[in-house]
Amino acid sequence: MEWLCFTKLLDGRIIEMSIKSDSNKLLSFGVRIIAFSVFPMIWFLSQAILFREITNRIPRALLIFLAITIGSSFIFFLYAGMNKIISYAPKSYQEGLYGAMFVGPAIFLLGLFLFYPAIRTIYLSFRDKWGENSVGLDNYVWAFSDKIMQITIRNQFIWLVGVVTLAIMIGLIVAYVSDKLQKGEAVFKSIIFLPMAISGVGSSAIFKFIYAYRPPPLTQIGFLNGLRVTGGNDDMGNPCKNNIIENGRKIDYVNDGCTQPIGWLQQRDLTKFTSFENVTPDDSFFSWLVNFPLNTILLMIIMVWMYTGFAMIVFSAAIKAVPTEITEAGRIDGASEARIFLSVIMPYVKSTIVVVATYLTVTVLKAYDIVFVTTRGDFETNLLAVKMMDEFSKFLHFGRASTVSILIFISVVPIIVLNVFRNKEDEAL
Amino acid sequence: MRKSLIGLLLILSMVAVACGNSLEGQEVIYFGAPATDGPDGQAIQSSFDQFTEDTGIIVTYVGSENFESELLAQIEAGNPPNIALWPQPGTVRAQAEAGNLIPLEDLGVDLEEYRSNFSPYLVGLGEVDGVPYGGAHAVNLKSIVWYQPAEFDSRGYAIPDTWDEMIALADQIVAEGMTPFCFGMYSNGATGWLATDWMEDIMLRTGNGTTSYDQWVNHEIPFNDPIVKNAATYLSQIMHTDGYVVGGSDAIVSTFFGDAQNPMFERDGNGNPGCFMHRQASFIPGFWPEDAKEGLGTETTFFPFPDMEVPSDTVLGAGDMWAVLVNDEATQAVVDFMLSENYFDAIASDVAGTGSTRISAHIGFDTSKYWSPTTQKQADFLKAALAANVFRFDGSDNMPPEVGSGSFWSEMTELAVQGPGYIDTALDTIEKSWP
Repeated sequence: MEWLCFTKLLDGRIIEMSIKSDSNKLLSFGVRIIAFSVFPMIWFLSQAILFREITNRIPRALLIFLAITIGSSFIFFLYAGMNKIISYAPKSYQEGLYGAMFVGPAIFLLGLFLFYPAIRTIYLSFRDKWGENSVGLDNYVWAFSDKIMQITIRNQFIWLVGVVTLAIMIGLIVAYVSDKLQKGEAVFKSIIFLPMAISGVGSSAIFKFIYAYRPPPLTQIGFLNGLRVTGGNDDMGNPCKNNIIENGRKIDYVNDGCTQPIGWLQQRDLTKFTSFENVTPDDSFFSWLVNFPLNTILLMIIMVWMYTGFAMIVFSAAIKAVPTEITEAGRIDGASEARIFLSVIMPYVKSTIVVVATYLTVTVLKAYDIVFVTTRGDFETNLLAVKMMDEFSKFLHFGRASTVSILIFISVVPIIVLNVFRNKEDEAL
Repeated sequence: MRKSLIGLLLILSMVAVACGNSLEGQEVIYFGAPATDGPDGQAIQSSFDQFTEDTGIIVTYVGSENFESELLAQIEAGNPPNIALWPQPGTVRAQAEAGNLIPLEDLGVDLEEYRSNFSPYLVGLGEVDGVPYGGAHAVNLKSIVWYQPAEFDSRGYAIPDTWDEMIALADQIVAEGMTPFCFGMYSNGATGWLATDWMEDIMLRTGNGTTSYDQWVNHEIPFNDPIVKNAATYLSQIMHTDGYVVGGSDAIVSTFFGDAQNPMFERDGNGNPGCFMHRQASFIPGFWPEDAKEGLGTETTFFPFPDMEVPSDTVLGAGDMWAVLVNDEATQAVVDFMLSENYFDAIASDVAGTGSTRISAHIGFDTSKYWSPTTQKQADFLKAALAANVFRFDGSDNMPPEVGSGSFWSEMTELAVQGPGYIDTALDTIEKSWP
């Protein structure tokens, strides 16, 4: 009997407690709604309406003054208000709510400026020119059937494979070799790293000069064409020079027999080079090679030049982390230097390579500045990012522009997935 | 206390605004492509100096290299400039169709007067369904060939009046071991426009002249029509005849259009210029080297594009066009001023000192006001053509962007590279891409 009574008492308490926790939950829910949506919304709208109303009514100077004072105190009062509201919540919930208070705006802004545009872009990619009518998959069909788009996708692929492989390979070799230097390692590495400090537009401008072409008989200011027109003799036996004045006489390169300058960034194949001049379609190897997209490769080199330094620095750190005992053990066992590099160093830096490859892949997919500054996508050198802008601002086709940007987005997804899996693997280890 | 102070300030400032002259101090934003501090931007801004002094309306010209995309963003955001200056009238019509522009009639413009001042053809370029939206601004002249009289005289060459004479002269120059034509059409992201200009000039002088030209631009005849093919064949004759073009026909696409004429100013080891003739618009002296610019009008000048199958006074040109996006009283006053005869005074007399060579589209404008004799000569040409309504606007600018700044450019580039055998493929590809 007494025991029964005790249980009943216990029951009552439990019920009482659960009622109390229910009401606490309800209270905290209410606080959450008010603190994170109702209050910020009212606060924001009040500001927005205030400024919309006064913008055209009061003098500019006063408006600027008000905008700075009210605008800068906006966040302060937002947090102060939220803080006050949360303080009404039950004690046990407050800590979590305060956390949410600080993360909340970040998530909200991320949603507003990242998530919403992404959804909107996907939506627009199924719409027509001005986004007015649905066109189904038309834009995607266009993306894979249009000749210029096909070339753009091909270029993007060449860039992805070429830039990532070359930058990693050269970076790795340079890092390994510089690690072996007795002295001057820091200077050597700084020189290789230097291009990283130049902006993409700057690097492109530098290389634009290297590849520059001017019509004859002008002096060739481009490095490659300068070399090309200098040297050799014309058909009369006179030397060819880049408009150099010797003994008061100008020696040019316009006569027959001198090598003529070429527009490097306009060469979509190798037909301008003597060894490929007489290739017939029957010669399958050469006719394949003659279509080598020289200008795309020349532009790619700019990016490799820029990012090799970055890859080198990262690899250098990874190689330095390899314990010397292991490499020494390898040497004692009689392994060659190449063998040590492949069998000892490589497994250690493998995960670093993946990190660098990921970074470079994403960078190449976003590559815009190099093509924009040099050829602006003419002569089959376009990349997806530039094509996207062309469709948007040149052809005013919002649907296609969105489709191209979705293609870029889709190409990044496998890399993200790969990285997630790799991180999980690392955790498992 | 503080609240009441702010309130007081607010009321006071409203009163101040309400009591002032309605237009005094009003701001009008004028947005365009020529850079704000570039020669054209400064010239445009200078044209409003007197106006601002007279009316108190502050007109601010803002230029941006990314004019098109920035303007789109501004319109989407609901914050457009009062007036925008488009480099191509085709875009004005597209914006009018999208409902972003205000018809000139709603701005109090007398359309009859406007049409007679600027020629019905030019006004028509900014019309949608017969309603004018765009205001004609400046025009340039494309039907000209630049040459150096001294080099012609010393060799006994005569200025060619017809296409055949030009070809004969070119053959003579080639036979004498020199190169007749400068030709460069590389232009970042717009490679090909120079060849489209050539095509347009030839189209105006072949087939049925302006009639077939208009049909071609409006796609009333297909792009691969025999008339167009005939024109392309003429162009190919210049581009692909051995020895006609500086650096050979492969160099056409590699040569930056701004550098294209430099061989004419350079002398090779034998003292010969790199080329003798260069067909390019009236704005090209802006790209010349400094010492060549000094010889504009004396050392280097131009002759009209030679006659072809249809002898005529037709003139090819281009130009920009403005339109209004925000209608208020101040903007209306600015529009009135921009359509008036003396709007171009400051630009023509080069008040800004930037050497702008822009030419007014106003038929009544006194051409003796231009500071440069070369510009005067060009303006006379244009004025006569506009008055006779035989001025034709750059056709590619009036085609849909997919063609006019897409396939027409890229296929002309391809034609230059591939040779005369590519003409049919090029025209068929352009025809197929017409939306």
